Amino acid sequence: MATTLDLHCHSEASEDSRAPVEAYLNWIKLRRHERPLDGIVLTEHRQFNRAADYRALEDKFGIVVLKASEVETDYGHVLVFGVNDDILRRFDFSNVRLNAQELIDGVAEMGGVAVPCHPGRPNVGLCEHYEKKPPLENVLAVELLNGGSRKGENERTELLVTRHGYRTTGGSDSHLVSLIGLCATRFEADIRTIEDLVRELKGGRYEAVDFRPRRKAIPRAVHVEAR
Amino acid sequence: MAVQYDPALIGRVFEETEPVPVTAEQIKAFCRAIDETNPLFTDEAAASAGANGGLVAPPSFAVTFRNGRDFFKHVPRFGTRGFDAGKDVEFVAPIRPGDKIRLASHVKEIYEKTGRSGSMVFVVIRSTLSNQNDEVVAHIDHRFMSRT
Repeated sequence: MATTLDLHCHSEASEDSRAPVEAYLNWIKLRRHERPLDGIVLTEHRQFNRAADYRALEDKFGIVVLKASEVETDYGHVLVFGVNDDILRRFDFSNVRLNAQELIDGVAEMGGVAVPCHPGRPNVGLCEHYEKKPPLENVLAVELLNGGSRKGENERTELLVTRHGYRTTGGSDSHLVSLIGLCATRFEADIRTIEDLVRELKGGRYEAVDFRPRRKAIPRAVHVEAR
Repeated sequence: MAVQYDPALIGRVFEETEPVPVTAEQIKAFCRAIDETNPLFTDEAAASAGANGGLVAPPSFAVTFRNGRDFFKHVPRFGTRGFDAGKDVEFVAPIRPGDKIRLASHVKEIYEKTGRSGSMVFVVIRSTLSNQNDEVVAHIDHRFMSRT
């Protein structure tokens, strides 16, 4: 059974979000016809929200809620899936200058996956860093579709993906309830746990999917001849 | 290198204001100013029959209390530029006429982040509002951003 997950969103546990997790799930339930999500992955900024337990909310809404992190490195921001005690002991997630190569390799050694996010974004995305520094090794996937991207940023990521052959994910990068699920990742496999997710990100089949509403074309002005 | 600061700054109250008395007239004037018409905040008779057992201030009244004169001298600075990055207010208990409200402020948190426009340091100052019975009525978190 295929699974569609928003792999990048922030709850009120992140300092710059005001979105309660329950409100996200309620919104997904109401908007499933537009954004058919099976679950979300909370990627709180510079931390792993170890204490949070969303099992009751998962049961209430029938939506998977998994936990991950968004950390900051010398190559921009990176999503870390499969965070465990070993990873937290080795890397200080509050450090905004983590070594990206060490993070990617270390997380992989310790059972997780690190996915650079919004690569096309200035200053905090891979593309800009690749212009000045050698490309990172052992990158499995990058976030091709980011719901918070500005014009041209996702397009810049497309060029990066073409050049380096990375797999692609999608996530809304939502900090507000109504933005959840605008971009997501569709997996061919059934995903219910973070272990499932890590396994599929490493070797499974998945693609970024875009649920952003298409802008309506602006009608062209019609010139009417004066009689 | 991570942002450098003295960890002893965190949590230490650097300022406490003198108690400011609250009157029913002040509450009503505030309501008029923000076009608040809920009788729980504007009409003593109706409010006495309500859940609070009397007139109370609308929640946003909490932000009308000023910090002390030296408040900004105590905000740690990083870099030369920055701005007020907003406020979060947590309402804990109603403010009533006759209350005497004082503010105690401390540095709650200092953290660094990176974004499209570069590196930033955020300082969060928490002002806790308490009444004459030492009951906390609200917390206000002031967030200041500095460019590094």
